[in-house]
Amino acid sequence: MSKQDEQKEQQTSSAPAQDQKGQDQSYGAIVKRQFRKNKPAVWSLRFIIIIVIIGLSADFLANEKPLMCKYEGKTFFPVFREYIVDLGGSWPQELSSIVDWKTANYDYVVWAPIPYGQSETDFMNANYVSPLDDQNVKSKRWWHWLGTDEIGRDVMSGMIHGTRIAMMVGVVSMSIASVIGIFMGAMAGYFGDEKLKTSWANILLFIISLPFAFFYGFQIRSYAIGDAFANSLFSALMQVFLGLIIFIAIIVLGQFIAKLLNKVFKLQATRNIPIDIIVSRAIEILISVPRLLLIMSIVAIAKPSIMLVMVIIGATSWTGIARFTRGELLRVRNLEYIEAAQSLGYSEWRTIFRHAIPNSLAPVLIAIAFGVAGAILTESFLSFLGIGVEAEVATWGKLLSLARKNFSAWWLALAPGFAIFITVTIYNLMGEGLTDALDPRLKQ
Amino acid sequence: MFKYILTRVLYFIPTLLIITLLTFLLSQAAPGDPVETRLQGSQGAQGGGMSEKQAGEQAYIAMSKKLGLDLPPFYFSVGSLAEPKDLYKIFRKKERENLSRLVNTYGNWEQIEPYYYSIKTLEESLFDIERDTNTYDGLKVLKEGINNLLNTHEDVAISKELILMETAINTFSTVRVDSVTLIQKNYFESAIPAFEALQANYAAIRANATVWKTKIPSIKWIGAANQYHVWLFGNKPWFKSTEDPSLKGGFIRGDFGESYLDGRPVASIIKDALPITMSLNLISVLIAYSLSVWLGVFLSQRKDATVDRVVSVVLFILYSLPVFWVATIFIVYLTTNEYGMDWFPTYGLFSNDLPDDASAWTTFKDLAAHAILPIIAMTYGSFTYITRQMRGSMLAVSKQDYIRTAVAKGLPKKVVVWKHAFRNSLIPIITMFASLFPIAISGSVVIEVIFSIPGMGRVGYEAVLARNYPVLFTVLIFSAVLTMVGILVADILYSVVDPRISFTKKK
Repeated sequence: MSKQDEQKEQQTSSAPAQDQKGQDQSYGAIVKRQFRKNKPAVWSLRFIIIIVIIGLSADFLANEKPLMCKYEGKTFFPVFREYIVDLGGSWPQELSSIVDWKTANYDYVVWAPIPYGQSETDFMNANYVSPLDDQNVKSKRWWHWLGTDEIGRDVMSGMIHGTRIAMMVGVVSMSIASVIGIFMGAMAGYFGDEKLKTSWANILLFIISLPFAFFYGFQIRSYAIGDAFANSLFSALMQVFLGLIIFIAIIVLGQFIAKLLNKVFKLQATRNIPIDIIVSRAIEILISVPRLLLIMSIVAIAKPSIMLVMVIIGATSWTGIARFTRGELLRVRNLEYIEAAQSLGYSEWRTIFRHAIPNSLAPVLIAIAFGVAGAILTESFLSFLGIGVEAEVATWGKLLSLARKNFSAWWLALAPGFAIFITVTIYNLMGEGLTDALDPRLKQ
Repeated sequence: MFKYILTRVLYFIPTLLIITLLTFLLSQAAPGDPVETRLQGSQGAQGGGMSEKQAGEQAYIAMSKKLGLDLPPFYFSVGSLAEPKDLYKIFRKKERENLSRLVNTYGNWEQIEPYYYSIKTLEESLFDIERDTNTYDGLKVLKEGINNLLNTHEDVAISKELILMETAINTFSTVRVDSVTLIQKNYFESAIPAFEALQANYAAIRANATVWKTKIPSIKWIGAANQYHVWLFGNKPWFKSTEDPSLKGGFIRGDFGESYLDGRPVASIIKDALPITMSLNLISVLIAYSLSVWLGVFLSQRKDATVDRVVSVVLFILYSLPVFWVATIFIVYLTTNEYGMDWFPTYGLFSNDLPDDASAWTTFKDLAAHAILPIIAMTYGSFTYITRQMRGSMLAVSKQDYIRTAVAKGLPKKVVVWKHAFRNSLIPIITMFASLFPIAISGSVVIEVIFSIPGMGRVGYEAVLARNYPVLFTVLIFSAVLTMVGILVADILYSVVDPRISFTKKK
């Protein structure tokens, strides 16, 4: 059977699902129309695209290495080459001898628009050179458009590389928050307090397998994880991830044994798990603790790492998303098509993940949009305080904190703060636009 | 209603317990040895004689007892079969961690324990050897070796160290007994048995390794004599008074412990900091509410007029302005003469040169000058938030039928707005009161750090940086209680404002 036929068959066999999809699209069309009417939101969407582009191409916009150069008769692309070096490759023979890229003797050379790296120091223009004063540069091409800091780092370059960090903070932390929040909210909303039933054997084996899972997942490997954290964040994340996999595997194994026991002894799923209460309580606990202090105290015990900050922000900011999802699922679970899915004999998990959640994701977007704004704010404040940011990484918050060291450097107080402000504003505008667009009361 | 409040207050308990557990876990995971931090400066260096060394150990034990760190951490421990129950009795954190690693590598505490004590015996036997030009080099090698042995668990490093020490301990030096005879003498002879015991013990560790034990989980019950329990509930008898100063009252009896840094009681630190944060936040919330409720109503009456549009845009911009940027701008531009706008003092709540006997009016003027920028920075965020909500809520209420009825029956506009619409649109504003609490506390971290105000936020921030856990615990728990009380108060107000909402009928 060709692939097309297969698809066709799938389509015909899942007629109800397709029907539902059609309805979904029309709702989507309404939302899109509503959203387009909101000019500020549309503009902020465009702005976000620009920010993403700047973030992705930060290395090409501001770099101390040339984009392209002809050196000793050969043409090189040092900025591209750097990615290969980062992945474990090496510099070509000719280039490896270059210590200072600026003074090397090229046949011809194309510099990045901002020819300075984020941690490169320009000694000729150290000690807070204003963008408006005289700068000790060869020509306007080398001008520090946003001035320099105390040791002569170009602020404009820092701003561009900071854009990437801000973008990553939004993406990474909100992905984590969404996964946790949607899962928790869906469980709480779909099952409520009465619907999640299980047997004694399941609960018992869960309790028994928990210490085992903890022991084999983390305890036994705690030194390996600790050493990995001291080495590099990547290996640490891999270790933690491996631990999680072992942890989950053991829990699943326990549940599998429970399933066998259920079959053998014909146990009924009679015990009720009040999942809604559990999740609501967890949310309540998380919002009662001042989040900033919580994040700070977790980040402060580890080695400074911007990635860790993102992960922790994500892991502590899922409450809003969970509440939205819970509310939506409370509504969705009573709709007919869920009943249909249940009566067709689909498993609970399939019903939740394939049918209930996809239909309740739209409002979660609002929480995510505002969440990105909040995450960027939190991260920039943390790096403003100098918590959790590596010495060689430039972030907006870190640049802004330099303004407190020298009051006369007005450009350091203005540029990074303005970038944070604009980014937060456009995400807030997005959130507002989405709120208006998704509001069912406005649906025509 | 009373029953409802009681249940809610009872719900505080598990929440607070989990927060204490979380922070406790963090404090356990944190690197660094708080006892050493406290003793810094007062303790002698590694060298020195026997008595000094012993005094140092004594001081260490006393301090770890005082800080409550001489106990096992928790009620139970999940670990491997190889892990001994009484490892916590090795009181130095670094040595304890190193031994734990050794156990994790070889799995035989029965052999590791004598190894550890033979290092200690060797150390003691070295104190008997007089330090002079003949023994100087050897002693140096041996002492360094002991120090390294206590801090390493890797076989290669230990073996290397043992070889180095062996050569040092077996060095013979030529000594002139009288004018004619020269003899070869080993000054370290007295330490040789101890060293040989150490070598034998290390060989035993390697020979009798039981690695399988490290792969078997075991849960060990420890009981109430643990750090967490003593910290939270104390070990003082509940209904008898004792004079024993080593017994602790525990957190729930108001004994918050003492700061790891300077030994100041945490209660007094909090007592100084809490009123500052509370009053600043209270002033800011009061200003925000009084202005924004009025502004919200005003704007809702002029929906889509130019005033409304302009103010709405301004409010939105204010809403997105990061507080720490605004605060930085204030400090950079308004507090020094750099830009000719030296209008406000830069840091703190009071001037340093304020005389002690200054009149109340001068003190107040000084305080006000210091507080005005922080308060503005704290207020504008919640101000815009509330105004926007108030406006939206008023607009939603204005569409209701009863408002139209009120207008239709000819009531004056003032009565319609303030008596009918206003009261009903207050409900969402009151729930917001609750959400302002956690924001206010987190916000006070930002403001207090930037303006150097010695409030709760700054205390918490400094505690985080210094890993000063007794202080951090207390700040986190106080903030959590404040937040939860705020939410509860909002819920109660909710039912007061809107009689339709009743908590007693629920359930």
